[in-house]
Amino acid sequence: MSDLSIRLESGQGDTVYEQIARQIRSRIVSGDLPPGFPLPPVRTLASDLGVNLNTVARAYRLLEDEGFVRIRDRSGAEVAAPREETSADAGERFREELRSVLARMRQAGMRPEEIRRAAEAEIAALAGARGREGSRG
Amino acid sequence: MSRIAAFLVAAIETVLLGGIFLLYPRIARKGLLFGVYVGEERAAGDDAKALTRRWYRGMAALLLAGLAASAFLAAASPEPAAALVPPPLLLSLGVLCLYLLAYRQARALAPPGPPPPAVAPLASGPRTPTALASLALALGAACGLAAVAFSAFRYDALPGRVPTHFGPSGAPDAWREKSFFTVMLLPILALALGIGLGGIAWLTAHAKRALRRADEGASLEAQVRFRTAMTRFLSVTSLLVTGMLTAISFGTIRVGLGESEGLGATPMVLGGALVAWALGGTIYLAVRYGQGGSRLERAGPDNPLTDGLADNRHWWLGMFYANRDDPSILVEHRFGLGYTINFGNPKAVALLAGFLAVVFGLVIAAVLTQ
Repeated sequence: MSDLSIRLESGQGDTVYEQIARQIRSRIVSGDLPPGFPLPPVRTLASDLGVNLNTVARAYRLLEDEGFVRIRDRSGAEVAAPREETSADAGERFREELRSVLARMRQAGMRPEEIRRAAEAEIAALAGARGREGSRG
Repeated sequence: MSRIAAFLVAAIETVLLGGIFLLYPRIARKGLLFGVYVGEERAAGDDAKALTRRWYRGMAALLLAGLAASAFLAAASPEPAAALVPPPLLLSLGVLCLYLLAYRQARALAPPGPPPPAVAPLASGPRTPTALASLALALGAACGLAAVAFSAFRYDALPGRVPTHFGPSGAPDAWREKSFFTVMLLPILALALGIGLGGIAWLTAHAKRALRRADEGASLEAQVRFRTAMTRFLSVTSLLVTGMLTAISFGTIRVGLGESEGLGATPMVLGGALVAWALGGTIYLAVRYGQGGSRLERAGPDNPLTDGLADNRHWWLGMFYANRDDPSILVEHRFGLGYTINFGNPKAVALLAGFLAVVFGLVIAAVLTQ
């Protein structure tokens, strides 16, 4: 139970809604939250965390825009299944984002070999999470 | 009422009330000390233990003073029944003073820096059933409306004088001129309390949860079990109060119309059941669950309390919670049993103000018309 929780840290760089979105996204990517998993209603999560309703709603909308979450109705949201195909526009946009991240990693002093190892580890973890989802299904 | 009976009732009142206050430090959630979050480690330390011992000594002194006041008033008052009110009032005042002193000393033990980070479960987990609370709310409203409609419908048929008070046997012992207040006050009070108490039970089922970090869901389960028990307790209390007031409302009209000679046994039975339920339920909740399910938790220093309950910045005197960002209406008491409102939420304040205005307005009107 404790693994599937959100924890708000004060004094972190990102805002509260970004913290919420980041932690849920991270759980989805790792496979802890499988497709169809019901997320808590906005009011419940806001009450538990003691934050404004709009903060949680904004985090859910961000995750919906990114395709991680499907907002159902007033009862809440659920984890969305990954799409089978991506459009050409989306593919180009992600490549652009990837180039930006890689450039920032390089600029931060990481060598190409380190960047490649980090990327491969993340891709392997992603594939592992997908594999676990498949075996659950 | 004889002097011995007055002393016994006053003494029982004092002991029960004092006993519940005496229990409070034992039922508080770990990490909280007299309305202050001091952290799990400090709450178990020597300073906290010394403070708690002072509370027990102070409470023992207050209990003895309350019993002495009960004996003196029962023996010396021209009317022995006058001994029933001052002892619990004096005891409550003494407890307030003792608490404020303990609170001030506990503040000195509070750790500096920000509170532990807020934690919320992503899995829905166990839920608090709301069926009984919804039933209490619906039945409370229905009974209250029925009492109001019945009284209004028979108003014109009532004679010039109507019963306004009944003795222990259920027979009327006071009559007054018929007026809107003498006839309609009680049914309107039944309606207000039916909706108000049923509403509080329903809101309790949705009260804010305060969890511990990394405790594998133990605090969540404890919170839900406590909230469920408290919701049931308040729902049944609401049903008994509404049932009793509705029975008295109907009985009053029937006695006024000469259709009956007294209220019958129903209000007395419901009243007795209400007292037994309220008293027994409070003691059971405190002993079995503890505040917020504290007795069900297995918390250690590595499982700090989180959220609003652990955040001293949002509490005033350890009794009043105000957080404008928090959408919660009801939150756990830090010191005591049950829930309080979030004074930072305008909806919560409006609900409380509306409920108190209606109930106190009606009670004051009732006193003025006696």
